[in-house]
Amino acid sequence: MVDGDTSREQLLETFRSIDTQTLITMALIFLIAYVLGRVITSLLLKLSEKLSHTGRIKVEVIIPIIKFVIYLIAFYFIFREIFKIFGPEIFLLAGLLGAAIGFGLKDLFSDIVGGLVITFEKPYQIGDKISIGNYFGEVTDIGLRATKLITPDANVVTAPNSLIFKETVASANYGVSEMMVVIDLYIAGESHVETAMKILWEAVVSSKYVYISRERPVVLLHKALPFYTRLRAKAYVNDLRDQFKFESDVHTRAWVEFQKNGIRAPQLHILNIPSIEEKYESEATTRRNLGSNLGPNAGDLKDSR
Amino acid sequence: MVGIQHSSSGEKDFVEVLGLKEEIEKIQSTIADFEMGKKLNIAIVAEPLKGKTTLSSEIERINLNRAAKITFSKIVKNKNEISLPDDAKKIVILDNCHFLYMRKPGGFDIFYEFLDMISSQNRIFVTTWNIYSWKYLNEAFGLGKYFPVQIFIPAFEKENIRLFILKKYEKDEIKFAKDEESEEKPFFYIIKYPVELASLGKKIFISAPKINISYLRNRFLKKQKIEAAEDQVFEKLYLESNGNPGIALRIWDLGLDYPRIKPKNIGIFSYEVDLEYEEAFTLNLILSYQSLKKSEITEIMGSMMSVDRILYQLLSQELILKDENDSYRVRPEALSSITTYMEKLRLVW
Repeated sequence: MVDGDTSREQLLETFRSIDTQTLITMALIFLIAYVLGRVITSLLLKLSEKLSHTGRIKVEVIIPIIKFVIYLIAFYFIFREIFKIFGPEIFLLAGLLGAAIGFGLKDLFSDIVGGLVITFEKPYQIGDKISIGNYFGEVTDIGLRATKLITPDANVVTAPNSLIFKETVASANYGVSEMMVVIDLYIAGESHVETAMKILWEAVVSSKYVYISRERPVVLLHKALPFYTRLRAKAYVNDLRDQFKFESDVHTRAWVEFQKNGIRAPQLHILNIPSIEEKYESEATTRRNLGSNLGPNAGDLKDSR
Repeated sequence: MVGIQHSSSGEKDFVEVLGLKEEIEKIQSTIADFEMGKKLNIAIVAEPLKGKTTLSSEIERINLNRAAKITFSKIVKNKNEISLPDDAKKIVILDNCHFLYMRKPGGFDIFYEFLDMISSQNRIFVTTWNIYSWKYLNEAFGLGKYFPVQIFIPAFEKENIRLFILKKYEKDEIKFAKDEESEEKPFFYIIKYPVELASLGKKIFISAPKINISYLRNRFLKKQKIEAAEDQVFEKLYLESNGNPGIALRIWDLGLDYPRIKPKNIGIFSYEVDLEYEEAFTLNLILSYQSLKKSEITEIMGSMMSVDRILYQLLSQELILKDENDSYRVRPEALSSITTYMEKLRLVW
């Protein structure tokens, strides 16, 4: 008990001995690391935008590694300062730190460890299109604490790095610039499927956004469903950033050609849904004829019979 | 297309001058196999201006009595243009086959007819293709399987570039003059080698030391100084054109102040290409077809695109030119910068 009091007093005495200069030095080290990390990240991102698609991804991959190396060096210098101050009492401080991490800072610590895992294990990289949690988007930054994504709707999502321990991460391209896009087109069941497949094939392979190689082939699939036919194209977009442009381009040009060849979209009349006015009149008539004990959908029931 | 005309001098077999002796032998050997019952279609593939039309003409000349040649000069839209009469000759040479498709939905019908024709008829087909169209069609439609014999025209040697250009003139008609400053760099000087960096999409120049062997030879063997100027001219032409004779000829024409030419007049062409994606794709179409009319570009791109704006942009960056037939072509001296840029975007590979 006496030893414990002595240690606490020693530790408090050490805290009191920390001068302003030391604190400024430690803050400066952290600030320099932060600014250096930002500057290098910014320069490398600018450089990567000038490179080819594959070159861009290669440069972006090294950004988080460089940032972590900078922070590691900064932490080394900060801990050296701390060790200078506390000496053997560092172990007492470690106990305090452990308690702090255990209570208040565990999430932050978990995020930093997650950042290290992401940097070195690479479940995803800057430039990848990933799904994590409820979000899908392009990874624009992997920081010490969080990963930034930009969604297709241009929302910037900041996801804590610790999410990788709890959520499954899906990377759509995993370090390459091309990415598979699945394009579905629905046509009327009575349409000539072979012609439609030929048109879809040509719309895909002639798109300005497509990337075709032996390793990245275009695949077409056909599925006949009760009221319509689904045509599915699996093809790679040249630059993952053009995913939606590619999909839209294929849709537009395929439908122009479908119309020339008499291929129609599935018709809603198959379901025999009456128009709004017709439905309203029908309901009113039914209520009048059958009385008020029938529900509001009585007209539908009658029609369907 | 810059043609490489057949020499009538008789001093040297032009096949050797072209540097395509092996290629011609391979084609002739395949034709001989066909006569023996083994049919393998032939594809001659090259980048623009590299001499594929000339090579196909040479094949026609060699097989004069048994070969028929059809040259396509624009996108083929009527299948009658590719149909052959039953009594046609057994060797069919089809030049510029990259005009047999239109890159849009519904634009490949002629191409399918063509594939059906070359695989079903008892004839041997010798075809020429733009390399970028070829690679695209090969990946998308497996075109290479229809052409087991593929001839990729190699780059010219430096000496062949010299012979190819000088054969248009009489002996000693062209006067090679030294640059003033070249007198001051007698045996050792710095030369800038062009290097294409596809990842950056541009060409850079790397300075490297060079020994002026011509000067030393002239100095110690007492030859005429004018030879050194000629060597310098053709070395620069060779480096700038990457051994493409059509580009070399264009650069020569731009630098010639008839009848004099100096090494410094051989221009170094490096274009800063900066285009939006639609503009780059249009340029890729022009590069792949070698020659396209505005109406054809509009048809491929669809009516949504502002083709006028795109073409204006390409013309103002001096990447393309409009020829006498109102067709747009890639500027020969810009070809190297354009292909480097296209490789960066992976629009060609």
